[in-house]
Amino acid sequence: MEKLLEIASKKTDQAEIYSLDETSDEIRFEDGKLKDIESKSQSGISLRMIKEGKLGFAYTKNLINPEETLQNAFASLKGGVEAPFSLPLTRLDLPLKTYDPSIEGLSNADIVEECKRVCDIIAPKTKGQVNLSAGRKIVRIRLINSQGTDLSSTSSFYFLGTEILYPGSYSSIHRGLIGKRFIQADNEYTNFLLDMYNPSGREVEPRGGKMKVLFLPESMYVLIWRVESATSGRNIHLKVSPIMGKLGEKVFDEKLTIFDDPLNDPVPGARGFDDEGVPCRTFSIIEKGVVANFYYDLNYATKMGVESTGHGYKASMWGGETVSFKPSPSLEHLYIRTGSKSFPELVRSIEKGIIVAGAMGAHSGNIQNGDFSIGLSPGLYVEKGEILGHVKDAMIAGNVFDVMKNVVDLENAYHPAPTGTFPAVLFENVSVATRSNGQ
Amino acid sequence: MFQKLRTILSKVDADYADIRYEIKKESSIVFEGKELTQISANSTDGFVLRVLKRGGFSSIAFTKGSDGEKAVRTAVENALLISKNINRPVALSKAETVRGTFLLDLEEDPRQIPIDEKLDLTRRYNGLPLKHEKIATTTIGYAEIVREKYFLNTEGTEIREDLVTTRVGGVITSRDGDLIQSVRVGLGGSQGFGVLRDQEEEFENKTSIALKLLKAKPVEGGTYNVILNPSIAGVFTHEAFGHFSEADLIEDSPTMREKMQIGAVLGNEALSIMDDPTMPGQLGFYQFDDEGVKARATRLLKNGVLVGRLHSRRTAQAFGEPLSGHCVAEDYRYAPIIRMGNIFIEPGTESFDEILSRLGNGLYLVDHMGGQTSGENFTFGAQYGYRVENGRLGEMVRDVNVSGNLYRTLKNMVAVGNDLVLSKTGGCGKGQINIRSCNGAPHVLVNEVVIGGR
Repeated sequence: MEKLLEIASKKTDQAEIYSLDETSDEIRFEDGKLKDIESKSQSGISLRMIKEGKLGFAYTKNLINPEETLQNAFASLKGGVEAPFSLPLTRLDLPLKTYDPSIEGLSNADIVEECKRVCDIIAPKTKGQVNLSAGRKIVRIRLINSQGTDLSSTSSFYFLGTEILYPGSYSSIHRGLIGKRFIQADNEYTNFLLDMYNPSGREVEPRGGKMKVLFLPESMYVLIWRVESATSGRNIHLKVSPIMGKLGEKVFDEKLTIFDDPLNDPVPGARGFDDEGVPCRTFSIIEKGVVANFYYDLNYATKMGVESTGHGYKASMWGGETVSFKPSPSLEHLYIRTGSKSFPELVRSIEKGIIVAGAMGAHSGNIQNGDFSIGLSPGLYVEKGEILGHVKDAMIAGNVFDVMKNVVDLENAYHPAPTGTFPAVLFENVSVATRSNGQ
Repeated sequence: MFQKLRTILSKVDADYADIRYEIKKESSIVFEGKELTQISANSTDGFVLRVLKRGGFSSIAFTKGSDGEKAVRTAVENALLISKNINRPVALSKAETVRGTFLLDLEEDPRQIPIDEKLDLTRRYNGLPLKHEKIATTTIGYAEIVREKYFLNTEGTEIREDLVTTRVGGVITSRDGDLIQSVRVGLGGSQGFGVLRDQEEEFENKTSIALKLLKAKPVEGGTYNVILNPSIAGVFTHEAFGHFSEADLIEDSPTMREKMQIGAVLGNEALSIMDDPTMPGQLGFYQFDDEGVKARATRLLKNGVLVGRLHSRRTAQAFGEPLSGHCVAEDYRYAPIIRMGNIFIEPGTESFDEILSRLGNGLYLVDHMGGQTSGENFTFGAQYGYRVENGRLGEMVRDVNVSGNLYRTLKNMVAVGNDLVLSKTGGCGKGQINIRSCNGAPHVLVNEVVIGGR
């Protein structure tokens, strides 16, 4: 790595090498039975170089042929992609606690036992099919650049995901559990799944119309994707955000505060620096409904004449090979500030409404404009504070800049969810379409 | 390379094992608006080993050849752990032993085209929408992905096959004040670079749609009779029906298996569905899947009756059904899973005009914006649509999302057109991404569809 950097630095103005090593094991149970174990051991390197304001980029998995990787980067440099920015010199004093060594001693047999234990608790108490996946992952990142930056981070992850499925479908009540080390699933975890699933077994066909809608943390990503799109430095630069020019303006309900907190190291995956070596910080996106900040990587920040906010990550919406991505603005440690009500209190406060326990089609629709239109998978129907059943063939639709103005309340607890760590959020006046439509 | 793979496999003490090594060559060019933001050509590689021992079947993906022995140990340990914890041992359906090299005759091998020529082509297409004042931006790119695969198993199969995928496309975004509209554009295929040339008209058409959408009204939510155009009917076929023809998705769901029994009447008599990866020239073409099984055309639905299913060697054995050659991986990072290759609704006899007049009043939905299924229920987005009154196309509508129940919708597909079109780009996410996922259909008339509007 050092040698590659040395050669690259000699022939260019600036150079950077990012290396990634990941090992993981994932165990899957279907219908309460062990189905599969998949292991992975992956490594890769990417190289960025800047010469006369132009960018060269290359990546590889096996550094068998460093010469070829260098040549690929030089060839890319000739393409003329502009790089108006400089790589940073970053030294970090306080290392975050991102790694728990006990993860190394956790065997696949231990994880299989935990899955069996969770199945044995849940399966006898429900008619629904129980699927689980669990596993662990160790991620090592090192970033060096020609300015003298040499940063590294090792993170450990344990995860368990459990779902109870509705018959004849893959629609389910599901919840995840994550940690830097093994955590035994407790009663609160298993009871949530049972308390949501068991009363909702019946199919109901309520009339559609405007009503209260409770998004579980697991389905908040539908709305959050739109917020991420609207506040991304990339979309501000490209002038395709509906809230560009609205910094400091109130666009959402004042109960909503959305922030990025890479430094919160009790949660696995905390980071002191982003994938370009810019230091991370706790960062507000929406503060009490007001647009607080847009988030940037080095490239878009320089283009907009601001500083990078430490959000340059090699990320993509659909997975893929991490080292093959150039850094782009990305919120990797997102939180929605919790509210005051317990989850059962939130449900009890719904006179008539829908709980969105899962969503289909979050990626379709006009994300940049903030529009969404999702199938409920499942949607639980609530009347007078009681879950009466699950709804079939129903959709909810709207625009985040309307829907997120009408927050009734938020749950008082954080849960790991796709794209962040969120409480459940109750909205009112959301449009629901069903087969027996009220509209 | 085969010698190296043989050496790794020879260390495996198991009932069956296979190993796949792949070199993946990717070229990528991206424009955001007028600005070139990426140009690169790179290659990556890796191994996937699968082991079956005492009825336990496990896989490991690894990067470094020097990790081969460790990978063998891990995979065997995991297979034994599975074997101790399952009631029904895994067995594999018997497959023919194959040895050979299967390379394609391409219409211009993209590996031989200089990157400057690829850049010029992308720049030219990207420039077409940007001529218009109300086009706010574009994200348009060139992508070329070549998988050079080496497959070897302990039964003597040795296959060398290349898959070449090319694509130009992305998103065209229009803007008027606070209103932002996006339209996807994409073309490409498995046949090389030639299919990307002379496609200006496609970019101009999509630009015009993006501009017209700024004036279109949001559709009102409710239940409608609709005509799906080939793009959207193809995605419906893939999402709502196709996934449940994938045996691995229903294998461990007793309730789904009950519904998806061979012989079950699932759809309207007008409806027949096929998956045929071997059809030449289309996006999803391959000869052997990533288990070394020969791909074959598989009829799934015949006049509404379920007649077949897509299988891996594992599920074909478990279901007691024939192999279909549909077990495919994204790349060297993954063990293969069951995927559709090229799924389509077989054409009927009616013309588009005949179907329009049969519809009378309703909506005509055009081009998909992605879809998703959760079993019985599905959702997908349309780029845009038109109101239809008295069999005539009326005003354009936007924000069209469709949701429905699979079985009810299959029965409500009452007329199938004679104008089959297959997709030119793909991207199915089922844990892994399949960029060669091809689907298609003729125009299809569907009664009583829930439209989500906004």
